[in-house]
Parts: sequence; C-alpha cells; structure tokens
Amino acid sequence: MTALARIALVLALLAYPFVDRVLGLQTVHAVSDGMIYMLLALGLNIVVGYAGLLDLGYAAFFAIGAYAMGLLNSPVLGSPLYGHAWSFWVCIWVAAAVSALLGLVIGAPTLRVRGDYLAIITLGFGEIIPVAIRNLGDVTIEIGGWRPIERLNLTGGENGVNPVGRPHLPGVPFETDPIPWYFLILVIGALSVWAMSRLRDSRLGRAWMAIREDETAADCTGVNPVSTKLLAFALGASFSGFAGSVYAAKLQAITPGAFEFQVSIMLLCMVVLGGAGSIRGVILGAMLITIFDRVVLSQTTFLVRAIGRASGISALTTIDLTLWRWFFFGLGLVLVMLLRPQGLAGRRVRPVAAETDDDAVVPETPAVTPRKEAIPAWLRARAGGVDGNEAVLDVRGLTKAFGGVMALNAVDLAVPRGAIIGLIGPNGAGKTTFFNVVTGLIRPDEGHITFAGTSLVGLRPNAIVARGIARTFQSIRLFPLMSVLDNVLVGEHCRLASTVPGAVFRPPSVIAEERRARERARELLAFVGLAGKDDDLARNLPYGDQRRLEIARALATEPRLLLLDEPTAGMNPRETDTLTDLIGLLRRELSLSILLIEHDMEVVMGISDRVSVLDYGTRIAEGTPAEIQRHPRVIEAYLGTGYEAEAAGRNAPR
Amino acid sequence: MLELADVHAYYGNIRALRGLSLSVERGEIVTLIGANGAGKTTTLRTILGLVRPRRGHVSFNGQRLDGLATDRIVRLGIAQSPEGRHIFPRMSVLENLELGAFVRPDRDGIAPDLERVFALFPRLRERIEQKGGTLSGGEQQMLAISRALMARPGLLLLDEPSMGLSPILVETIFRIIEDINRQGTTILLVEQNARMALRVAHRGYVIQTGRVVLHDTAAALMRSDLVRKTYLGEK
Repeated sequence: MTALARIALVLALLAYPFVDRVLGLQTVHAVSDGMIYMLLALGLNIVVGYAGLLDLGYAAFFAIGAYAMGLLNSPVLGSPLYGHAWSFWVCIWVAAAVSALLGLVIGAPTLRVRGDYLAIITLGFGEIIPVAIRNLGDVTIEIGGWRPIERLNLTGGENGVNPVGRPHLPGVPFETDPIPWYFLILVIGALSVWAMSRLRDSRLGRAWMAIREDETAADCTGVNPVSTKLLAFALGASFSGFAGSVYAAKLQAITPGAFEFQVSIMLLCMVVLGGAGSIRGVILGAMLITIFDRVVLSQTTFLVRAIGRASGISALTTIDLTLWRWFFFGLGLVLVMLLRPQGLAGRRVRPVAAETDDDAVVPETPAVTPRKEAIPAWLRARAGGVDGNEAVLDVRGLTKAFGGVMALNAVDLAVPRGAIIGLIGPNGAGKTTFFNVVTGLIRPDEGHITFAGTSLVGLRPNAIVARGIARTFQSIRLFPLMSVLDNVLVGEHCRLASTVPGAVFRPPSVIAEERRARERARELLAFVGLAGKDDDLARNLPYGDQRRLEIARALATEPRLLLLDEPTAGMNPRETDTLTDLIGLLRRELSLSILLIEHDMEVVMGISDRVSVLDYGTRIAEGTPAEIQRHPRVIEAYLGTGYEAEAAGRNAPR
Repeated sequence: MLELADVHAYYGNIRALRGLSLSVERGEIVTLIGANGAGKTTTLRTILGLVRPRRGHVSFNGQRLDGLATDRIVRLGIAQSPEGRHIFPRMSVLENLELGAFVRPDRDGIAPDLERVFALFPRLRERIEQKGGTLSGGEQQMLAISRALMARPGLLLLDEPSMGLSPILVETIFRIIEDINRQGTTILLVEQNARMALRVAHRGYVIQTGRVVLHDTAAALMRSDLVRKTYLGEK
C-alpha cells in the first residue's frame, strides 16, 4: 500500500461515522459489530493460518471472553467490580488473560494430535462451552444432607447476563451514542492488526509457519513444537478475549446462543474465504461475509419479493433469504475451495515466472564452486568449541527394535572432532534409524549417546539441535511454502532470543538481532551458492538447490556436528562434485564434524576419514576407506564385486 | 510404440518442455539424460497425463494420449515407478503390490507375478506384512518398481530407479531392468546415473531446458564429448 492510500484509508475510517450521521444512515452499530467479528477472524487466523492448526471451536474463546466480562462486571452475578468507573478497562485485560489461559488448557491435550484429530477435539470444546454455560446458571451440589453450594448462578443460564457494565471515560457518551463504540473497536482492532503483523514477521511467526509446513523438520531445526503451538493457541485466544469482552459490554447483554458452533464456522469461513495466513485476506473475507449477511441478503429479499409481486409468482412474495444464510455460507465455502483454495487474497502457491519473458524455463542448476572466502565470518568464529581430538559424538551399544525387527543392535560409533565419518550399508540396514535416534526423533531401547560430554538420551530433537547437532533428510524436508531466506532464518531460531513482547514492541535489541539474523542468512545462502534467491518459495527451487538450501538451514543452527543423509542422492556428477567440495571445506575450515550416509562410493571413499558399515542393524566393519573397500563382508553385503571394476573404469580416463 | 511430437508443457507460467520430441520402439530401453530441472520428470508426467501439454501430441500404439485421464492411460498398458517412490505408506507391502495389479484383467496372472517380483527382490518377501511407510528408503524404491511391474505394463516408465540404493543394489536394479526388458517390457528410463543408464539402454536422449539437444544410440552417446563432460563427470 502506498503512503497516500494509507492516509486515505485512515481518513475514511475516521470520517465514516460522522458522514453516516449527517446522511442519517444509522449503520455505525452494524459496522462496529462487523469489526468485532473481523477481530475474531484475525485471532483465528493466528491458529489456523499461521500455525496450521485447524480449530473448529474458536467461538468457545469468544464466549470465554464475553462471559469473563459478564462475570466481572454485572450486578446480576454480584461482581464487586460493577459500577466502578474504571472497571471495563480492567476487565478487558482480565478477559483476554482468561481466554489466553483457556487457550493453553485447550491447547495442551491437543499437542500430540494434528489435522483431522485436532479438528475433532476442538469441535468437542466448541460444543462443550455453550452447553456448560447454559447449565451453570443454577448449580446445586449436595453431598448427603450437606449442601455446600446451593442454587449458585455462575453464568445466568439460558437467560444470560444482563446488564453488563459499560466503559467510562470522562465526557464520552458510551451510553447513548454508537460513535464512541466505533472508535473504541477501531482502536482495539488497529492495535491488534499491528501486533499480529509484527508477530507474523518475527522469530515466533516463522516458527509457527515452520510448524505448519513440517512439524518434524521444524523440531529438527530447533523449533520447540510444544511451546510454539501453545503460544499460537494462547495468543489466538487472547484476541478473542478482547473481542468477546467488548462485544458483551457493547451489547449490554450476553446469551449462550451467541456462541454456537455456527459462529465458529462463520469465522472459519471468513478466514478461508479471504486467505488463511494473510491479514489483509482475513479482513477482506470478514467484510464480504458481514456485508453479505447484513446487507445483501436482506436487500435481495426485498428485491425478490418485488419481482414476485410484479410477476405474480406467489412463492417469491413470501420468501425470506436471510433464513438461508447458512446455505449461502456453505455454498460459498465449497466454491472457494474448488475455485481458489488459497483464498481470495491468499498467497499464490503456483510458481510465478516473468510473464513477459516467454522463453523463461526451469533454470538448470548452476555449478557454483564453494569458496573458502565465502564462508561467513560469524560461522568461522563459532567453529570448534571442543578441544583436542576427543570424540564429539560417542555412541555406545545403541539398540532399537521395531516390533520383532532389530533396526539397531548394540551399535558403537565415535565421531572425533573435525572428522568426516562415513556410514554405509545395504538398504534397510538401519542407517537412517541411527540418525533418528541420535537426533532424538526415536528413543533408543538401550545404549548411551554422549555429545561433547553430556548424554542426549531422552532429549527432544529441538533441544539436541540447540546443543549443536544439525541434520538433513534423505527425502528433502524443507518448509516448502516459505521463502528461501525464511527457511534459513528458521534454522537460526534456536540462536535468537526475541520473545512475544519483544516481537510486538521491537526494542532496539530485537531490531538489531533480526537484522543480524538476516545478514547471516544471506551470507549462508551466498556460501552454498543460492545468492539472490531469498524470496523464492523453497518448493520452487530445482532439486539440487533444495539440497543445498537444506544444508544452509542446518548450518544456520551453528552446529558442531552435521548429520547428512544421502546428500548427493539424485544429483548429477557435476553437482555431486560441488557438494563434495562443500563438505570438505566445512570440515577443513570450520573443524565441523560430519557423519555422512551416502551411497555414492566415490564420495564416501573420497572424503571420509573412517567408514562404518551397518548390516541388519549390526556394525559389521569399521576402518579407513581403503580397509573397507577390501573388506570381504562389506564387498559381499554392500559393494558387490562389480564395484572395483566400476571404480577402476571411472578413474581411468582422468 | 510411444511417440511425443513437439510437446510444450508448463508449470504455471514456467515452460518446462519446449517442443520436445522423442519416440520409443517396442522392445527398447530408452534413457533420458539431463540435469535437474531439464524436464525429464515432466516428460514422464506428460506421458501419464499428469501434466497437460499445451501444444504437441503424445501417442501410444497409434492412440492419442494427451487429453486422456491418467487412469485410462494406465489401463492402456503404461506403468510408472515415480521419483520419490510415492508408495502407499499405511498399506502393507503385499497390499501395495496388489494395488499395482489393480487394472489387470487377468486375475490368474497375479500370483505368478508376485512370485516374480519376490524373486527379483527377496527383501520384499521378508517384509511382506510390514507397512510401506516403515520400509527404509531403498526398500521403498524396490517396492515402487515392483508395484509398477505388477501392472504387467507394455511400457514401463522408471524415474530415478537407482536413487538411494546401495552399490550392490544399483547393479541388481540395472540387471533387473535388462531382465524385465528381455521378458518383453519396453522401458523408458530417467536416471541421474548416466553411466549405468547408457550401459543398459539401446538409445538415449539428452535433454536440456525442455528440449532434446542430442539423441543417438547409447554407445554413441557414451563416446560423445557433451555426455562425457556433463553427465559422466569426466574432466
């Protein structure tokens, strides 16, 4: 948006209620209500759009916010806060805090589930809350003849709470005039949008999106999925707490009917219609649905009736389209999913190419030779950390069984500082399982894993990343719908410190940290040969570039040990050479220790200091590349007899 | 048997194929060689109807394929072992293989063919009840190839069959590719391992930025400067 458009928008928003009054339109109340729903949709967008957690019961938080206000600020329920001049301004914060707390409570049991299961659980909560509110209006607890609680009215039951206290500001007529309400809601809404957009562009926002894209990969990149998801639930809920408390105070009355399941669905419609993950999209979606609901349906009803009268069709003269609102919402949702699943203003997920350049083709991967000088200075400064030649990683007796299959059977393996250790073996020998156990994705049945002197057994993957172990995946696992730069920035997540208030208020320390993080990410991208591709979506990169981006993301976590799972798989000889050079450079210049699973024998035998061989979960050989190449069991189980001839043939023409 | 003539295909606005033409005769092994992003996988996807060509046409045994739905194309006798495997992760190895035979009219031929793939890949017999998703990467590759074979296709499309396999298995896979071919299956092979691919193939096409820049017999390609420098890694 240009500065001019911004100023015009602000002026229009400020002038609107007065224009309305002059013209006698009397729409300010309706517009204010619409803005409350917009705020709710924006809160839901944090959960659904950013963190990718499908929440079908979001209206429950709206109810919590409204009832928190009602409980604190209504004479019906006997609150001591009622009638005090300042109480509304206290209560909205309490309501937001209560909603956030309930977000945590509801979020906690859903942490282990995703997708369909999470949706079903939130659906349950969405049903529970209104029913509980209905039935808490008259609570009697009787134990034997003793009644500790008799006819307690906690929520007002079906009748709801009425009246609810209004805000007090000296000289502002909240009682009689809709305009102060409009401005109150406008200010809360504007502050919320401001806070949300800052959250989205922060360390936390990137973590949410990483979780949405690939939770396992995010965990292995240093993002704590538990706290990140809980924060999404809590922050999303806190915005609905504001919305609910303002709603209660503005309406002066709340009833359980206002928080039914349909409200959750309508809010979800707003988010999906506009485009999940886009603030502008959600605002657009909320506006369209509100206008449709309040204006289009009723006006069309008049129109249809007029047509019915004019044409003499009696069925049309009595029609009431507003009774069909859920029919139209449902239809709209179906159409959006079919025609534009990313929403009206959603991010485009298809590759975008220069439309004028008709000759644009999928670019071939250029072979950028990694240079020593391109190693970022900060990475060099972090290099090492463990002195001497002792093992950085020391694994003893590692055992893991899946059902009856011994995936790992008492495996020993040590990686000395600054060494490249090759891990080879037939397919299904347990190599990737070994990686998964070391990085914390799988708990071992037995054995010790010691990294730089401390045990790793029982730690979560993100805690292991924080200690200095990074990995790549056999089948590339980037965050496909995030930009190349953001992928690397997620890698830096565990080395950054900004918190939620820091992300919203951006003190100088956070601004400096963020700028440094971006510089580092760009340097890393330049180092691996991806300079200038910052803003491309990761999934639009060619295959070889995706492999290198995954390595850049791993390096961003500032590892001391790098686990590479078949990094050259699917690469042609030229790309393989480049990558081999890169790995050698990391070890030579940064003293990085590297554990390498690889099937390209030219690579493994060329750069490994020592090689371990797994077969059926058991280590069958360990030694220098030359020893391994001659080892009869390795030749039999893995290399095959053709290998030597092949290797000879490959080296001959050089 | 298979013919692509002047095929143009796009992903969004990106031109992935720019007038690509090639043909495969019955009984051949033909290989496509090219860098990542050159359009090899897109070619296979276009044959299967997963990508619609904007211009040009694809025909199989004289019948136009472009415009047909993918399941119809598979019923005509084309099966693929896709890059990245795409096996059914929550189904057992056996169920994966049985689904491969889904389109076959001859139910009696399925049991002998199961034996045939188990003879080719004994590892799969060991894991017959295991869920596809719990197999190791290399085992999934074997399963993907086997599943394609279970359709008993006239034309088999193989996308990077050697990816992620141990050296001994790479040899085995290529030996199996030759065996399958000798038993009467025509094969179109996309492979990064150009050396092995050219060793088993009869003919090959070199693809750069969405079009064919060179095609010849495999032996001649092996000797060409372009192939030796760019795709065989000789310096």
